[in-house]
Amino acid sequence: MSLNNRVQTSIKVLQGVVVVVLLIMVGRLIQLQIIDYDKYGPLSQQNTILQESVSPARGLIFDRHGQLIVNNEPTYTITITPANFNQDNIPLLAELTGRTEAEIVNQLNLAQSYSWHRPSRMFTEVDFEIFSAIQENLWRLPGIGHQVDSKRSYPSDVRASHLLGYLREVTEQEYRRSNRYRMGDRAGRIGLESVYEEYLRGETGTIYQRVNALGQTVGMYDEGEHDISPTKGADIYTTIDRDLQALAEELMADKIGGLVAMDPNDGSILSLVSAPQFEIDKLAGKIDRDYWHSVNVDSTRPMFNRAISTQQPPGSTVKPMMGIVGQELELIDPDDTVYCDGGFTRGRRYHCLDSHGHQNLADALTNSCNTYFFKLMNDIITEYDLNTWYRLSSDLGFGKRTEIDLPYETTGILPDSSYYDRVFGANMWGPGDLINLGIGQGSFSVSPLQLASFTSLLATEGSMPKPRLVDRLVFPDNTYTEIEPSFKSVDWLNDRHFDGIREGLIGATTEGSGRYYLEFMDGFDAAGKTGTSQNPHGRNHGWFITYAPVEDPEIVIAVLLENSGFGSVSAAPVAALLLEYYFNGETTHWIKDHVLNFEPTDEPEEEEEEVIEEHIP
Amino acid sequence: MKEWHKHFDWLLLFCWGALAVIGLIAIYSATQGPVSEFLPSYIQRNFSNQLTWIFISAIAIILLQFTAPRSFQQVAFIFYGVCLFLGIITIFLGTEAGGATRWLVIGGLRIQVSEFMKLATILAVAQYLTSRRDISAEKLGPALTSVILMVIPAVIVLLQNDTGTALVMLSLIPVMLFWSGLPYGISLFIVSPAIIGYFAVLNWQWGLIVAIILTVGVFLIQRRPSLTMATFIVGLLIVIGVQVALYQILQPYQQARIEAFINPSMDPEGAGWNVMQAKTAIGSGGVFGKGFMEGTQTQLRFLPEQWTDFIFPVIAEEFGFIGAGLVLFIFGVLLLRLLNNAGDHKHPFAQLVMVGVTGIFFMHLLINIGSATGLFPVIGLPLPFVSYGGSSFLANSIMIGICLNLRLYQRTFTTF
Repeated sequence: MSLNNRVQTSIKVLQGVVVVVLLIMVGRLIQLQIIDYDKYGPLSQQNTILQESVSPARGLIFDRHGQLIVNNEPTYTITITPANFNQDNIPLLAELTGRTEAEIVNQLNLAQSYSWHRPSRMFTEVDFEIFSAIQENLWRLPGIGHQVDSKRSYPSDVRASHLLGYLREVTEQEYRRSNRYRMGDRAGRIGLESVYEEYLRGETGTIYQRVNALGQTVGMYDEGEHDISPTKGADIYTTIDRDLQALAEELMADKIGGLVAMDPNDGSILSLVSAPQFEIDKLAGKIDRDYWHSVNVDSTRPMFNRAISTQQPPGSTVKPMMGIVGQELELIDPDDTVYCDGGFTRGRRYHCLDSHGHQNLADALTNSCNTYFFKLMNDIITEYDLNTWYRLSSDLGFGKRTEIDLPYETTGILPDSSYYDRVFGANMWGPGDLINLGIGQGSFSVSPLQLASFTSLLATEGSMPKPRLVDRLVFPDNTYTEIEPSFKSVDWLNDRHFDGIREGLIGATTEGSGRYYLEFMDGFDAAGKTGTSQNPHGRNHGWFITYAPVEDPEIVIAVLLENSGFGSVSAAPVAALLLEYYFNGETTHWIKDHVLNFEPTDEPEEEEEEVIEEHIP
Repeated sequence: MKEWHKHFDWLLLFCWGALAVIGLIAIYSATQGPVSEFLPSYIQRNFSNQLTWIFISAIAIILLQFTAPRSFQQVAFIFYGVCLFLGIITIFLGTEAGGATRWLVIGGLRIQVSEFMKLATILAVAQYLTSRRDISAEKLGPALTSVILMVIPAVIVLLQNDTGTALVMLSLIPVMLFWSGLPYGISLFIVSPAIIGYFAVLNWQWGLIVAIILTVGVFLIQRRPSLTMATFIVGLLIVIGVQVALYQILQPYQQARIEAFINPSMDPEGAGWNVMQAKTAIGSGGVFGKGFMEGTQTQLRFLPEQWTDFIFPVIAEEFGFIGAGLVLFIFGVLLLRLLNNAGDHKHPFAQLVMVGVTGIFFMHLLINIGSATGLFPVIGLPLPFVSYGGSSFLANSIMIGICLNLRLYQRTFTTF
């Protein structure tokens, strides 16, 4: 091979290599730019267009007079995008946020484990001063961002923690199931926040922003043409009376129990308290783990809604119901009397508190005479049977949910024969277990809400409205949905069933066990009934149900105070004060002091209300 | 010289100018467009800096045309020695940029010695191999000496953590030896590890298949059983070595880079980020591109190092297949023209210099565009005349200037 030939061949070889490689590159360009254009075009769009969800403002909650009870409050959050963050800035960031460098490194590591390129919340609920300091220095802190979140705040004295409920981050399951939620969103747990979640929440908006690789927003995409602005959630106008609720909470503080006040004419709940309350403020924003733990291990169970979920024997507050049932079954006539010699005997002795002598229905209610109702119950199970009593009582709302718009409502317990068969065994129970039911003891149990609902029936003499907490939902466009009251009718019930009962209930608040505090109050008249429910585990629970004014009732109240002893001295003054405030706008000081400083005692003042026999199966 | 303009290679100069202008346009878009507000001010100065360097380089090219070709031979070893010395100094005194110690600051001027070292190596090797008649790459001794001449600067550059440039220098070895008489079969044997290695990284089966094909190729060209055996054994060792290196020797970040190259979508926000963004920029450009300063990948800074290593995606995104294809076409003309000139030249020194320069430009083109299009793992190397970089532009222009000079004086510059 001559030298020149070799040169020429080498040139051809090298040129061949160059041409082949260039053709491969052109081929690659054709593949990327022409064949795969449909793939990369959208990819570059996604890259540069950040689709960001905008959380809607949550609906507010108002009381029946339009006063604000639940508001939104902005909170300030510092975010970090680890990929863009420069570690040299850790000291500066520590200085600006007032945290230690170790804390910042820790948060940085957490954020890294979530994502390098997506912003993570680094510090939530920071002070506005820190927030603005960060904002001013944002330009020298690449990777650091800020956002404004919001949390619930409670501008009035009303806390109503069980009624309102709180918000918590949605679980992974929830946001996977529903496309309304994103990770980190909050949804209502318990209370109105939970029941009306879909209205309060509003619609999430979407904005499309142009961003660069550093995550910096460089402007709107298509001048915001594709943006969907968020829709604010609906405001809730509740039936709650803010001032009455605040007073009720104050009176129930440091006690254990439940209270429901409602308008018997349409079922509007004016006040609903469960005591003890949990501190709803502490659950509004970022969770205080110590508090959360303490609430959950607290033996008084602050998270438990005693107003609607607890079930306790109604005690003597059930006697009006017995009167109605007795008349329906034509076993009693309001004018007929029963002689009370201090008790009733069938198989054994059932004690009364006193020897009341001749008692008609009204007297028996006024004096809370047990003998009258032992005998009545005995007649019911003798002449009819337990299930007849069960059916009529059930018609009056016992053993059933009232269907209030709150979760976890109890049905209470209204025993029938199958209940006893299940609990004691078939043929293992008899009249001895049933006669006590006539005075609201034994297996019979109710919630304060059920008793309030039943008291409405007594107040209106026949109509039983469904309890409701929400009057109307007002949407952002000012349209609204009113929640109409609904009523349960009892087809067999008529005016004559209430003969003697109203008289007896008025008597109870003027001369009977309910009189002690009401007799000092002017301006309104009330009817009511005390009750004491037997508690085998400790001190008895006190009940009081009342309605006022007697002639044209506007309000009914049911109060349960657990472990407080007699209802006449524990629960009755609480209800009395609420009535006084409702009608007169003020409260009698010494009674309020008595309630606020109430120490339960086993010794009743002046006279015993009733002697509770131990339950013998 | 009479009628010098008839002998001057205007086409080569045109290619130089065209690439420089395209580079300026791309650098302008990448640093002066809407993106500029996110760039530090020293990067915003890149455009005017580059303009200055192009002007200086143009003067250098003109001045070089007044030089006698023989003087390149005379200064070859001195230049080589100076560059080695400065290169070693850079290792110890250089400033860091992007993890590599590449810059030597002399009197306020930042110089990237390695760019000039490439030219120095070409000149030195060309001078050595053509200095005496009895020196030829066909003989083992001279071949080894020239290999050492090329390995030393490669090692120095490697110590500066500049893997890309080291790779380019090592690639000079087969090119220079091949040209100066190394048998074709042996040349293929020398190149084969790189080719087998590339395919072995993608997939060991492919590596094996390529090893067998190359073995057959070596056998057909040379018909020497020992060489054929050697090719196959080395190929096999490379395939095994690559597997071991990938999973045992390489640092995790290097592994991640290789992994990202093989499968960029596996970790689109980690190591695969650059590759994905570059490919997205190129792909979304389509046929006609998004328009000057309209490229979203560029203007929103999704492309890393978009004025240097990733400048090709800027062109591909904003000017589409037409623009990117034009760049490749101009490079094709430039490279083929340089090789033609080498073939035409009678003086072996001139031939070797031209072939060496072609090899350097070719390797830069291959690695730069290969990285940007995802054909290679990302290796940071500038695209000659297009990427921002003063030292690089000047050194490359001097190479073009020397090639123009050798072409211009080819009638008078002979061995006899």
